Amino acid sequence: MKIKAFFLILAFSAIGSQLAAQDVLSPSRKQAIDSLALEKVRDLSKYISIIGNKDTPWSEANRVIERTLELFADGAMMGVSSINREEVNYYGVREYLERLMALNYDRVNIQWYNIQYISDLERQPDGKYVGVITIYQRFEGVTKEGLKYVDVTKKDVTVYVERKTTQISGRIIGFWDVMLGDIRVTETKPGN
Amino acid sequence: MGTVFAESHTKFSEFLLLFINPLTMMKNSFSPARLKHRLSFGMMLLLAVTIGAGLSSCNSQKKLAKKKAEQELAEKTAKAKADLLAILNDDGKMTLEEKEFKLAAVKRMNLDNQEIKDLIGQAEEKLNRERAALEKKKEEDRLQREKEAREREMRESGPYRNINLALDAVGNASDISTANMKIREALVNFAGDDVPVLILISKEGEDSDYDKPTTIRKYLEFLKDQKKSPNKVLNAVFDANGKIKELELIKK
Repeated sequence: MKIKAFFLILAFSAIGSQLAAQDVLSPSRKQAIDSLALEKVRDLSKYISIIGNKDTPWSEANRVIERTLELFADGAMMGVSSINREEVNYYGVREYLERLMALNYDRVNIQWYNIQYISDLERQPDGKYVGVITIYQRFEGVTKEGLKYVDVTKKDVTVYVERKTTQISGRIIGFWDVMLGDIRVTETKPGN
Repeated sequence: MGTVFAESHTKFSEFLLLFINPLTMMKNSFSPARLKHRLSFGMMLLLAVTIGAGLSSCNSQKKLAKKKAEQELAEKTAKAKADLLAILNDDGKMTLEEKEFKLAAVKRMNLDNQEIKDLIGQAEEKLNRERAALEKKKEEDRLQREKEAREREMRESGPYRNINLALDAVGNASDISTANMKIREALVNFAGDDVPVLILISKEGEDSDYDKPTTIRKYLEFLKDQKKSPNKVLNAVFDANGKIKELELIKK
């Protein structure tokens, strides 16, 4: 019994020391993870632009929706605002993307810019890193009649980064899984 | 001896009186022989005084030279000690060559001082260690450069060249149908659509960090959607048919 307890303690200390080693990331590794998360938000920006674009074939847009969903954590919500109303509506990501694809405009142009961290990735007690990236979105929709709607929205994207492992060809691979969380609208202004 | 000294003293007094007071000379019985005798004695005395003075001057010069040599030795020793301590306490401000040059200069002084000899021993030991570490680092750098050159060769002119070109062709495609065609062409090189693709984002010693693994089909579609080709091949594993069964990429 004592021997079992000893080995259990030994195993827990080994796990503990491994976790402690993970705690301290060198600046260059941390920078690589920061860049990776920022890159995922840029990828999302491109995907949204493709889905919203009326020139994108329907099958392509649906394929891109599936790719986009892979970027998000389960249950993530997307905020949608308008200069014509006060409140911000929140949708599940799939619903948001499908609504975006079906927008009643003849032409849609969406651009994200000034993509940057407003809250650095910080390690949480559960081992995940959480940060917030802010973006500005310029939305332009033109109707068949030539009416144009333009707004600029500031949005905050919560990002979660977690260290995971997988086995590929018998090799254990350590990778960083970046998941996007809720995207909240913080400001909406008419654009030009 | 006492008599000789007394006689000389008398003669010297007479001689002085002769020069001091010519009247005395006149008073004394004046004979040429006596005068000659006195003159020659005077000359001898003058010579003795001159030689004595010369000897005394020579002695003081020797003392001066000795003092100067001692001062120079003390200065040399102090400088040697300072240089040796600078070598021993150096934390990387001086290059190894500078330190070796300083040590050689101290050794050339050939100082017979036990403290200096001990410090030379310690400095030699330290510089030998540093030299060995430097040589080891140089060798490691050389091996690393060779490894990188081999990898670059593989990427740019070896079997990876075609894969990189295929990936770039998808990212640079001007429209969806061209991109789809390039994807089909690229996939010919792979064992299947599900070939795993790893993207290395950071490597520090044994710690390799990857992006979330994907498949070659998804990666090629990613290049098409993003209209860019940000990575290049780091490594590829081929199957028996010469098709890629595992692909490792790294940022360009």
